Amino acid sequence: MPRIDLFNFFRYTLAWVATIYATVITVQSLWGWYVWLMGRDKYIGMLRRYVIVQGLRLKFSTFWGDVLVCLLLSVTFCILWRAHHLMWDIGEALNGW
Amino acid sequence: MAGEARQSGRELARVESGPSAALPSQMADLPKDELEALAETFGIDPTCHRTRQALVAAIHDRRQMIAGLDREAMLDVVRWARRPVSISATREALAHEIALVRSMRFAGLSQRGLIVLARMRGLRVTDDEQVPILIKQLKKQEGVFTKLNRKRRALLGSIVSNMIGEDEETYQYVPPGPGAAGQASGPSATHPPREASIKEDIEESGIFGGIAGRIKKSADQYLNRKLDEIESRIDRKLDEIDHRLAEWRDKEIANRIRILKITLWASVIVSLMSLIYLYLKQTFGW
Repeated sequence: MPRIDLFNFFRYTLAWVATIYATVITVQSLWGWYVWLMGRDKYIGMLRRYVIVQGLRLKFSTFWGDVLVCLLLSVTFCILWRAHHLMWDIGEALNGW
Repeated sequence: MAGEARQSGRELARVESGPSAALPSQMADLPKDELEALAETFGIDPTCHRTRQALVAAIHDRRQMIAGLDREAMLDVVRWARRPVSISATREALAHEIALVRSMRFAGLSQRGLIVLARMRGLRVTDDEQVPILIKQLKKQEGVFTKLNRKRRALLGSIVSNMIGEDEETYQYVPPGPGAAGQASGPSATHPPREASIKEDIEESGIFGGIAGRIKKSADQYLNRKLDEIESRIDRKLDEIDHRLAEWRDKEIANRIRILKITLWASVIVSLMSLIYLYLKQTFGW
């Protein structure tokens, strides 16, 4: 009878479900926009150019604070992930002794 | 000279379209009234040519002469006469407008413009003719009865102008210095075209024509002003829409980044909890 750690089970299930859901929704949305903006209509062409112009006009300085926080959080997340691995390695080493 | 004429003919054939582009052989087949109307559009008096062949030859000569005219000089004339012509108009279109000019007030017209006007009125002048001589020849060519009619119209114009109360002096610019009229660029290149007074309009086109032209000009100005207003209003609206879209874009991106930030915070907190849990599990052997 395998021993199931409920906390790990919850974490992994949540991570997989949330990641797959978010990926599917994002890809669906991006594909819908791509198909719509690739239309042959004259006005869609105008809109496409307008969207490109709006994108080019975007200023990084408006969002740089939030972007920096996101980057730092990502780095923190990676460090914590690495800490998990280290902890597992230590546990295995101790159990091995 | 013959080569120039051939070249001019080719040029005309290239740039022209419509009934006035007819070849001499085709012109000879036109009905008499159409031929006379065509001659008038080129500034030719059909009554001076007794036979059809003479009129066809005169039109042909005039078209060749037009093809050889300096286009910039023609533009000088239409600017001076305030004729509504686009800058890209062909020589023939410019010539049609110049043929309609009846004014005998040559102030503000460059020497090259005077040469074009004289040639369009049937005078034989050389390229280096002086301004006073050109004006003298143009006045001499006018004829006694035409001059009398013009004077009569000028008198009527003065009366109407006095009745309406238009101050002619307000429309005058500083007269160009001596010799300026003889320069190649001409006064029109340095001074804006002078607005015609109602007196001048009536003198040129008669009392009804002058007043009608005046009303038309006022209506045109009003319409242009209104169109400009509408255009600026549309521009303002488009700018506003653009501004709002930019705001919406910034807000939308800020929202997305906030959602991403919240997700990352949640991930970091859960992973921290997990790390503590792992530590406790390994320390206490749960």
